[in-house]
Amino acid sequence: MTPETSRNLDAMASRILVVEDDERIRSSMRLALEGEGYEVDEAANGEEGLEHFSGHPADVALIDLMLPGMDGFECCRALRRQSAVPIIIVTARSDTHDVVAGLEAGADDYVTKPFVTKELGARIRALLRRVRPADDEPTVLAFGDLELVPEEGALRHKDGTEVHCTKTEFRLLCELASSPNKVLSREQLLDRVWGYDYFGDGRLVDVHIRRLRTKVEPDPAFPRHILTVRGMGYKLVP
Amino acid sequence: MFALGALVLSASMGALSYFTTRHVLVSDSDKADFRLAFENATSVAQHVAATATIVQTLTKVTTPNSHSLLEERGTWYERTFDLTQDDIPVSLRSMVINHSTAASQTYTLHGSPQIAIGIPIKSIHGAYFEVFNVEDLAHTLSVFALGLFVAGIVTTALGAVLGRWASGRSLRPLAGVSRAAVAIAGGELGTRLGSTGGDPDLAALTNSFNRMVDQLQERIEREARFTSDVSHELRSPLTTLAASLGVLEGHVESLDPPARRAVELLSADVRRFQRMVGDLLEISRSDTGSAEISLEEVDPAELVRRAVAAVHRSLPIDTPPPTVEVDPAVSGTHLWVDKRRFERVMSNLLENASLYGGGATAVRVTPGNGSSIRGHSVRVSVEDSGPGLPPTERAKVFERFYRGNAAFQRGAGTGTGLGLALVAEHVRLHGGKVWAEEAEGGGARFTIELPGQPAEPDDELAEGDGAR
Repeated sequence: MTPETSRNLDAMASRILVVEDDERIRSSMRLALEGEGYEVDEAANGEEGLEHFSGHPADVALIDLMLPGMDGFECCRALRRQSAVPIIIVTARSDTHDVVAGLEAGADDYVTKPFVTKELGARIRALLRRVRPADDEPTVLAFGDLELVPEEGALRHKDGTEVHCTKTEFRLLCELASSPNKVLSREQLLDRVWGYDYFGDGRLVDVHIRRLRTKVEPDPAFPRHILTVRGMGYKLVP
Repeated sequence: MFALGALVLSASMGALSYFTTRHVLVSDSDKADFRLAFENATSVAQHVAATATIVQTLTKVTTPNSHSLLEERGTWYERTFDLTQDDIPVSLRSMVINHSTAASQTYTLHGSPQIAIGIPIKSIHGAYFEVFNVEDLAHTLSVFALGLFVAGIVTTALGAVLGRWASGRSLRPLAGVSRAAVAIAGGELGTRLGSTGGDPDLAALTNSFNRMVDQLQERIEREARFTSDVSHELRSPLTTLAASLGVLEGHVESLDPPARRAVELLSADVRRFQRMVGDLLEISRSDTGSAEISLEEVDPAELVRRAVAAVHRSLPIDTPPPTVEVDPAVSGTHLWVDKRRFERVMSNLLENASLYGGGATAVRVTPGNGSSIRGHSVRVSVEDSGPGLPPTERAKVFERFYRGNAAFQRGAGTGTGLGLALVAEHVRLHGGKVWAEEAEGGGARFTIELPGQPAEPDDELAEGDGAR
């Protein structure tokens, strides 16, 4: 079995929700994604997308930021309120505040129009990857009063209350927690969590770190566990 | 100019005042003296005719600042010896005594100005003379003249100051217009003239100037926006094209050879089209001033190695990789760059070398000569072993859609025509520069120089949060 076919088989079960108002783009994306072996659900606007998602939860949601009616940001936020599903936003430009605003609205990653199907496929695969801890790693990672169980994909306080986070946030936290006190550069985190090379967008890491802090830090403005190391990267201090 | 005007004006005003005043004062004084002299003469005539001695009579009529003399049939009488008939001008004496005509004469006696008045008295066949000392009047006039002179100087000085102030005030708007025009020509289209302080003439100038710049700005922005809009509009069909083509490419094995060839042609040009639209969008962003740069602190050697490796992966498989040489002097230097833009710079330079120079042979990282307090600048050069660039082409290759002469026509036609123009734009956004020159061995060498420290680092890692 070639790696190509194994990937397609892997993806067979994955369902992609495409929220895009341009009918032609939507159809061509369905064809391209189906060609990669995904099942595709289409929605022409945000409301329709949310409604469809409630009935048929997808594994990845692809949301265009420029939508009629409810815009892509609002759609992201609404979807994030009801699910931890990985979200990829489709933006017009990569150097605008749109990207950061979209990430802050809950998106995990972004692609810029006009995108290449291969690039989109790579983004989807990276988000669908599972956390596979190395054999020698402990099954429970702890810091502060929090416990991280990679196997279960669970983050909870010592008293047992769950902390809700997205898959991407969880994977980012796992990377940091599995090398406590060690500085990880943004490039390393981009590679390990998002599958980007050296030239990936560092803002992905920054926005996710900010979001994680609001969930795991007692005072997110003065973090005690997830620290910024000036000019180098981030590190987790238990 | 104003000072000269003030001088002439104040001098003529002063002179006019002086002479008018002098004339009035002198004639008033003369009249008064005349009247007094006449009265005295009358009185003397009566008294002499009556009884008393002449000297006594003269004493009676004399005032403190005048001397009276009486001539009677050739004999002179005077009250004091301070002043004798010899002190009265001969011409006046002969006029009064010989011609029996009342007369006066102004002259100087013992250094002080006098007015002598002579009145013939027929009843005693004599004449009455009275000499008035007009030194007070002269003194008054000289004080007055001094006052006017001082006033003239003060007026001139004030005129000069006021003139300078007024001309500065009236010319200031023009200086403002000139500055604004220079700023606008320099690309600062937001420049406008401020309030004129209520001067209606200036308000008209300011309004029309600002209206002109408004229209100019609107026009420039409209053109830049048009490029941006066109590129934006092209993205949707292009996304459909690319996605559908991707599907076709997945089934290329099952196509007939002609159809397969068609798909290959299509996919090459759709990719080129995509890059072109991407480049157009990028360059129109620079034109509309909406380009954003997000700088990160990086090690230049690693940055260049990574970029060369990343770009090389996307080049045709048979392209040999260029050697990357890092000058040891660069180690330890840090650069602040927008990594996405830097990758585009490297990719465009390497692609350019591969299209026109037979592929890049070497990439060199060397210290720049801009090692100021802003940190050490770094140069990155991309060299090829192609035909090189004639000196006349070296600046032009950075122009948009510049095609060069026949010797440099694109063969495979996969360039967008914007590659080097974008290199220049990206480098400019970093505050650096780019140029082309001849490499050793005759090929072309493109060099970018990036400054060591940016104006404002703007990333999360630079902020820090108190933890180290």
